[in-house]
Amino acid sequence: MLNLLLIPLGAAALLTAALATTDDETAVDVSKRHERPPHDVQLIIHEGTRLLAADADDGHDEEDDYAPALFARLSAEFPNRFTEDDEGIFRDAWPETRDGAIVWDDENECYWEVVTADRLTRGRQDYVQFCASCHALEGDGFGRSGVALRPPPRDFSQGLFKFTKVNSEKLPDDAALLALVKGGLLGTPMNEWDISDERLAEIITYVKSLSLPGDEDADGSTGWRDPYNQIAGVIDASDDPWTDDPGGAIEQGEGLYHKYQCYTCHPAYADAARTDALRGVEGSGTYPDDHTYPKLRKDSSYTVLDYNVAILPPDFTWHDMRRGNTVAEIYQTIAGGVAGAGMPTWKGAAPDEELWAIAYYVYDLAETYKGNDAQRAAFMRSIR
Amino acid sequence: MTLSHSHSVRSFLGPVRAVIATVIAAASLAPGALAQDATRWGPKESASSFGWRFDDLFMLIVILTGVSFLIMMVMLLVPVFRDKARAGHKASFDHGRSLHDKRFTAIVSVIVFIVLDAWVLVVAMRDLDEGFWNVPGPGEAPNAVRVQVLAQQWAWNFRQPGVDNKFGTPDDILTLNELVVPASAEAEGNEDWFAGRPVVLNLSSKDVIHSLFLPEMRVKRDANPGAINRMWFTPIRPGDYAILCAELCGFAHYQMHGKLRVLSPADFDAWEAEASAMALAAYDENDAGAQWAWDWQE
Repeated sequence: MLNLLLIPLGAAALLTAALATTDDETAVDVSKRHERPPHDVQLIIHEGTRLLAADADDGHDEEDDYAPALFARLSAEFPNRFTEDDEGIFRDAWPETRDGAIVWDDENECYWEVVTADRLTRGRQDYVQFCASCHALEGDGFGRSGVALRPPPRDFSQGLFKFTKVNSEKLPDDAALLALVKGGLLGTPMNEWDISDERLAEIITYVKSLSLPGDEDADGSTGWRDPYNQIAGVIDASDDPWTDDPGGAIEQGEGLYHKYQCYTCHPAYADAARTDALRGVEGSGTYPDDHTYPKLRKDSSYTVLDYNVAILPPDFTWHDMRRGNTVAEIYQTIAGGVAGAGMPTWKGAAPDEELWAIAYYVYDLAETYKGNDAQRAAFMRSIR
Repeated sequence: MTLSHSHSVRSFLGPVRAVIATVIAAASLAPGALAQDATRWGPKESASSFGWRFDDLFMLIVILTGVSFLIMMVMLLVPVFRDKARAGHKASFDHGRSLHDKRFTAIVSVIVFIVLDAWVLVVAMRDLDEGFWNVPGPGEAPNAVRVQVLAQQWAWNFRQPGVDNKFGTPDDILTLNELVVPASAEAEGNEDWFAGRPVVLNLSSKDVIHSLFLPEMRVKRDANPGAINRMWFTPIRPGDYAILCAELCGFAHYQMHGKLRVLSPADFDAWEAEASAMALAAYDENDAGAQWAWDWQE
């Protein structure tokens, strides 16, 4: 029962301590990006924006634009209201105000998607509710809940996304981002967001609008407001060359994994002698002590407190793969690369068949050893 | 067709039949609840050294309130049927204003208070004092497995000190939504409260109030921002158990769950050594923003 008495005493002590410390609180230095207080939650956005749109496949053709189609539809809907002369009004004035319109930019030779203030406001409302706790109200990834998270939450002004399964040198299209947000990222607080597609699309539009305005001189990608960027869809994974021979794929994948020196960042799953054998070199000699461990060797493009954090390459037998539930997903990630991290775009650098084989091998590693502590320990003992 | 169908349903659920159906349903549910069949009724089986206290207290409350409920029902129903209007007998109405009635009510109230409230309170206080509140103090459980829990929207960050048993060092094991601890079979029914390796937690939160709920361990405690709460339990059986958030903490509260992996002591030592080595490989001393350990609160 003594504890019952201690509670009020403890509460009093805590209260005293709290009152004593408030005086010492120093003013926040607003010049420091991560220490400034968040902006007011301003839910009304007064101006829309233009975001880079995915390239239309059929090329640019003014006659195919929205205006004639809209004119035809409205003329049918309201007979005697419009004349042939009015068609120009639609062509000239309307696209700037219609949400989702795709307009051609002669100067930059690219398509823009028109986004209205209304749509951005709706997107921001949901963003503040669902995303801002980690990604912050400003979208810079320094939300209250994102503190000390590794990997850090995305800074949306960078326009970099790691696991979209899109060629990482390009920007992901809406479908790729929607799939990412809906599927979540395993092993991180990025959940499987169970929100309607319509609202997610608005959130994604808002998130894209957080990227910085385009600048020809800027280093690297600045996202959807930069006309020099390109947008691509999810890498096609329907053509699996190994469906009839998964065993062969795993065997070849092991060789290729070590031949392409994936162990420079990821762990090697072979001792030094076997690594040499798999690479087809003789007595190349020395491998570092952490040969069979993941290595924090490369900085990423993800900055926290002015420090480029190192992104840990996963050990497939120990860590979660963010989006690696199937061989095809692993293939897509290998082929596309991981934007901003050390993982390059492998598609084109190696034949597709080989990338698929590596995906089979990696999937098999995770399937065999992950969560299977005894078997993994035995395997690791055999190679260390 | 529809009309006759709904009519038949309504007639089946006539008041008398509804009472009978309820009694039958309750009677068929009760054995399941009493048997603690984990797959069907009631909470899953306790897997911690003092989880039985919770279960016993729960059963005590069920029995006490159940018996009281039956007595009350008899006292209500007997006069209803005994004193109802029938041939040669007029129903009598009584507002219970006589001294006799008041005295009777007072005595029943006192009995109910003593039997139900006081009994449950005393047992609950004893259980809390010997179990949940009895967090090992300094030196009381040198073998304890210590864990720092940092809750956030919407995930659980766990930090274990690793093989050097010190927090805030490079070999600290960091896990997300997964806590790995050893089982201590000897703690079951042991008179030494801290036998085996009790798991002691320091709980805090980055943003809002969360609550770490380990249903099979029969413990639950809030994680408050700006404060460090303590909690302990001793798992007695290896297995995978649930980690839940029991405090509504925002939109994805329902997704804020994880896995408590209880390993045998030997498996845990092997896991801890490997996880520490993996943590060393992932440690970046220059990354000041990634560090969040606090001084351990006994």
